[in-house]
Amino acid sequence: MDISQDFFACYGLTRGFEVDLKGLRQSHRTLQQTHHPDRFVSHSHEHQRRAVQTTAYLNQAFATLRSPLKRGIYLLQLQGMDPLAHTNTQMPMDFLLQQIELRETMEDIPQQQDSESAIEALAAALQGQALALEAEFARAYSGVEYSVAETAVRKLQFIVKLQQQLDALEGELLD
Amino acid sequence: MALLQIAEPGQSAKPHQRKLAVGIDLGTTHSLVASVRSGQAETLPNSRGEHLLPSVVRYLVDELPQVGVKAQAHLVDDAANTVMSVKRLMGRGIEDVKRLGSNMPYLFEACDQGMPLIHTVAGLKSPVQVSADILRALVQRGESSLGGELVGAVITVPAYFDDAQRQATKDAAQLAGIQVLRLLNEPTAAAVAYGLEQDEQQDATIAVFDLGGGTFDISILRMEQGVFEVLATGGDSALGGDDFDHVLAEWMRQERQIPEQLDLAQQRFLLRLARTAKEALSQVSTSNLCFSDWPGAAVYADLELTLEQMNVLLDPIIGRAIRATKRTLRDAKVSLDDVAQVVMVGGSTRSLQVQQRVAQLFARQPLTSIDPDRVVALGAARQADVLVGNQSGDELLLLDVLPLSLGLETMGGLVERVIDRNTPIPVARAQEFTTYQDGQTAMAIHVLQGERDLVQDCRSLSRFELRGIPPMAAGAAKIRVTFQVDADGLLEVSARELTSGVATSVQVKPSYGLSDLQIAEMIKASWTNIEDDRSARSLREQQVEADRLLEAIKVALAEDGERLLPAQEQQAIELQMQQLSIARDGQDHHAIAKQIEVMAKTSDAYAALRMDDSIKRALAGKAVDQL
Repeated sequence: MDISQDFFACYGLTRGFEVDLKGLRQSHRTLQQTHHPDRFVSHSHEHQRRAVQTTAYLNQAFATLRSPLKRGIYLLQLQGMDPLAHTNTQMPMDFLLQQIELRETMEDIPQQQDSESAIEALAAALQGQALALEAEFARAYSGVEYSVAETAVRKLQFIVKLQQQLDALEGELLD
Repeated sequence: MALLQIAEPGQSAKPHQRKLAVGIDLGTTHSLVASVRSGQAETLPNSRGEHLLPSVVRYLVDELPQVGVKAQAHLVDDAANTVMSVKRLMGRGIEDVKRLGSNMPYLFEACDQGMPLIHTVAGLKSPVQVSADILRALVQRGESSLGGELVGAVITVPAYFDDAQRQATKDAAQLAGIQVLRLLNEPTAAAVAYGLEQDEQQDATIAVFDLGGGTFDISILRMEQGVFEVLATGGDSALGGDDFDHVLAEWMRQERQIPEQLDLAQQRFLLRLARTAKEALSQVSTSNLCFSDWPGAAVYADLELTLEQMNVLLDPIIGRAIRATKRTLRDAKVSLDDVAQVVMVGGSTRSLQVQQRVAQLFARQPLTSIDPDRVVALGAARQADVLVGNQSGDELLLLDVLPLSLGLETMGGLVERVIDRNTPIPVARAQEFTTYQDGQTAMAIHVLQGERDLVQDCRSLSRFELRGIPPMAAGAAKIRVTFQVDADGLLEVSARELTSGVATSVQVKPSYGLSDLQIAEMIKASWTNIEDDRSARSLREQQVEADRLLEAIKVALAEDGERLLPAQEQQAIELQMQQLSIARDGQDHHAIAKQIEVMAKTSDAYAALRMDDSIKRALAGKAVDQL
């Protein structure tokens, strides 16, 4: 297993935003079956060390490819871009305002009488936005409009962060 | 290189030689060794037919230590030399042990690395050595049962064990001369014991509910085509069957109005009564509690405890386990309906009430057919058999996760997360850091494990220093720290300064450990203390900012303060520096933020003066066309 190749290549995928998650999962399992350190217990120390490195690489590749956000960032990084380097001040103003609104909606949830359906409503709204941004990214990326794709993936990053905070909030409220 | 195998006509080649390997459950109260024989995993008994080996070691003068039942017999008459529950000391420092110490009758002494050593007649013994003695006894049992030398062993550890505790366990095996094929998490082992991957229905989500005497572990696994993948693990390391006894004992005390101040004998009496009642109520609906042997002057009438009453009393404790289960399901992004099988582990899951509550939660009967005390060792034996290659073609593969997040200390005592908990292992991750001061040539790296934001709330794993960073302006050096966690959950850290290539590498060999309280806090606190953490984080951030500003102004004033500033303005700046210092040492992050703002305003004019001055000097004596 060559761990210097890119993540798409190691799963035999064409580089692009669309990934068949089920197939990816299947390939990941097959590769783990072959390369996991458990398969090298009676081999030399060097073999075992390499197995640890290979599986660590596979785990990272799988985590990157299965997440639309990480996949998007990675695709741009392969183009020599660094979408993570920018600061939020460079985001379009209307998007930032919308973020503030969403955040306020989330902060109000604990005070709501029916917080559970408020969470569900917000989760659905966020999911809708995430899907739209993913579609936007896919369109821009395949059209070689990388700076448009970059904006989309950076917006997606905001949404994913909100989704994580909403998950944490849901956990706190349900406990 | 392939060798041609030649056999005489009519003679078959020698049958495949099975390699001897065992699974070992190194438990707090008892340990087990198991192996796969004729395709079946079974625990191995000693010559008297006993399967459980009490995890007790007694040290003697000029004799080999006694392990197991023999040692257990001397827990009272030779308490100082008879060590029990050593698992609680693994990977712990002397400070942690002192906190645990009240119910441990041993004399402890710290060694160089802060590891606690126990005074015995056979000399000082570390917890690693004591565990090694237990392991030796198990290996001997394995070798005499299986009739040959062992290739190696899979040793189980609680899923919540941190790096230090795992390392200590592996060290013990090394000391006992056994090759560790793998450190395996106990809940994962239990899931494997049931052989669920051989069922018709191939793909399923499994929950392992592990309620022991003092700890609760819950793991959610996904099984697909022989691969067991842990999705999330969680629990409460201060929740177990012992809590049941304490609640029942406290109820008795209140019912009989026994004074709160109890001596040790009285406490033990109540706890024993509680345990007896608890066990009786699994058979009958009412248990009689007899106080006639009460160790004290007072006389108390007997008491009745019904099953119904007990269920009400224990309900809140089981509720805690249920809540932890729901939390872990959320971490795993799995809903209750998705769970196809529930595996029960640990003596406390014998309680019918626990089984009922779990059945209710998942709307299905949990698997209880394998003895909950043995299920972990049996799973480990299956894994050992696969690892040494006895089951060629068997697809069984166990993929586990990191139980507690790993991070590094950054300025102000904050922890920067590098690998989140529940990340599949093996994993490698690199993080870049930079220098804080101009010309800084060394950097201390402090590796921590835990879920909290502050260094003091996490477990310190290791400290090491990266030296020889070329002197650069603050923020110019780039230090890349790489964490690698192997399949045993053990960490290796290396660091490299990217511009110069200066490298350092450490095997994380920790010397301190967590108290039960700390572990409990680390797991629980990440949920309950989010608010605290937030304000603590803000405070530290403001303090770091204040320090940075104060340092910068101090340097600037020393450089050209007198030359550029009128005395009055310099005084004003110094006065404000004092104000900021006072606020910085306080606890109010709003106050610090405010003083930082004022400080910035006060020094603005000076900053502008310096800027002009440096431009003037740069331009001095140069013609326009030279620029």
